[in-house]
Amino acid sequence: MSEQRLRELLAGVEVPAAAAAERRGRAVVEAAFAERLAAGAPRRSRPARLPRLAIGVALATLVAALLLSPAGAAVRDWVGEVFDGGGTGLREIPGGGRLLVQSEGGPWVVAADGSRRLLGNYEEATWSPHGLFLAVVSGRTLTAVEPNGTPRWSLTAARPVRGPRWSPSGYEIAYRSGSSLRVTGADNTGDRRIAARVAAVSPAWSPLRAPQLAYLGADGRLRIAASANGEVLAMAPALPALAAIEWSELDAGYGLLLEVGAAALRVRQTVVGKLAGATILGPPRRLALPGGAVELRDAALSPDGRAVAALVLVDGPRGARSAVRLIDTRDGTSHRLYSVAGDGLAELAWSPDGSHLLVAAPRRDEWLFLRRGPHEGRSFDGIAAAFSPGRVANAFPTVEGWCCREAGG
Amino acid sequence: MRADSGELERAGGNEPPPAREERRLIREAQRGSASALADLYTAHWRRAHRAAYLVVHDAAAAEDVAQDAFLAAVDALDRFDRRRPFGPWLHRIVINRAIDWSRRESLRRRIVDEAGELEQRAGGDARTGADLGTDLMTALAALPVEQRAIVVLRHLLEYTPGEIAAMLELPRGTVNSRLRRALDRLGSALEGGR
Repeated sequence: MSEQRLRELLAGVEVPAAAAAERRGRAVVEAAFAERLAAGAPRRSRPARLPRLAIGVALATLVAALLLSPAGAAVRDWVGEVFDGGGTGLREIPGGGRLLVQSEGGPWVVAADGSRRLLGNYEEATWSPHGLFLAVVSGRTLTAVEPNGTPRWSLTAARPVRGPRWSPSGYEIAYRSGSSLRVTGADNTGDRRIAARVAAVSPAWSPLRAPQLAYLGADGRLRIAASANGEVLAMAPALPALAAIEWSELDAGYGLLLEVGAAALRVRQTVVGKLAGATILGPPRRLALPGGAVELRDAALSPDGRAVAALVLVDGPRGARSAVRLIDTRDGTSHRLYSVAGDGLAELAWSPDGSHLLVAAPRRDEWLFLRRGPHEGRSFDGIAAAFSPGRVANAFPTVEGWCCREAGG
Repeated sequence: MRADSGELERAGGNEPPPAREERRLIREAQRGSASALADLYTAHWRRAHRAAYLVVHDAAAAEDVAQDAFLAAVDALDRFDRRRPFGPWLHRIVINRAIDWSRRESLRRRIVDEAGELEQRAGGDARTGADLGTDLMTALAALPVEQRAIVVLRHLLEYTPGEIAAMLELPRGTVNSRLRRALDRLGSALEGGR
């Protein structure tokens, strides 16, 4: 074979989805460039433009990478037209719904217009499925409250309460008390133990209308149990160093269970068996993280179970970078959506309808809201102060929930 | 070092700008011009991405490798010497990171195989039917990654053996011998299969 023929062959190899990769790469690179400008990187001449504008262009650009359909529209067709730096303080929630935000002073409910209310001095909180109530935790007490903070009932457990999770049906609340897993009725009746020894990982309710929940046993095994009596219906080895379990509903009665480890992600399809009504766990599939990933900071399963957003710390040629990746749970392909130097990103959250992704950037004191469909992205800074009124040391808050998929009900 | 423009060059990706124009783009990018950076990206992305893909044989990894190289360029922009051509500097990062990725992936596969792990690895799998859809890709995949990289540098990016030796920090004789062995194996695989 001649060298000329080899050149022709090499140049003729089709790189899969090359155009989409080029668009995504452009978005990531332009975002990094804008970030560099905003950070005041040394320049040989000409002063920097307004940092917020640079960040804005970066945001608007990276949102292009979120477009899942290969529309092919040039990024610049809309950059500059649609970006809106949201400004200081959260004035609205792009994507709608209500946020549940945990601060040093307790959990806050944030309405769609950005107005917020501190629920009280609670350590943890979780939404009911339709956002009519919240379950909040203080010491050994589990309390159901209304979104305006009015308590409805309280339950005092033998040991400190952690990780409350309201069932999708609305009828039950699971929580850990000491090393045990318990479930109580949402009307504060029928409190019962489900498992005696569990790991310090919050359980996940089945999204398939089955009164069952997944939890990590103290022996490192993943279990599916009936919430009525704790009967174990399925069991499998869990991912080592499991940090979180999430469970979303796919189409046609199938679910997808996500295991988030310290440096790995794994999914299993689930289905409710027709005869016994027990959840059947499919075989695990590992979702690949990029080479050089040194830490998996956070991961979130989209409400439709089709994608996992992963926040990873990656060793780069010039030091570590934080990167947000979107991984398709069907075929495991993934794309980097956003990347910043250092470890500046902290957590991710999906909007209830899966249209937006919230990315927390504590070092910039910002939340970034990225929209999938129409080309919009917004950033809001001053987040720490907004949730720490009157405090000097403003710790950056965490997002505990984004409610709700359906309005009211 | 570079082929004249023509069908082959266009097939491999956009043609890099003339040296003078490239220096201007780098200077403007150093001053904060996003459009200059975008032009550099447009000029170099496709060839960098293709080179990465031909070495790693994994679409997602190739995208990451090419992105990483451009991110390194952004990080180092202020220190970049405009008298030097941009392409070779970028390609050096691309190829070295592609080699690193392939070695890591090879090690990971060995560990997984030895552990007898039954998990299916979803996506990102290097040896999909689509990725190995051509005889050339199959033949390339059979080469050690070090040989693949040299073939790509020589016959896609069209560097001389001396330039390749400098990029990979290898003796020139090693580059020549690896290239010869790789071409022999490719020739056998591609012509023997007919």
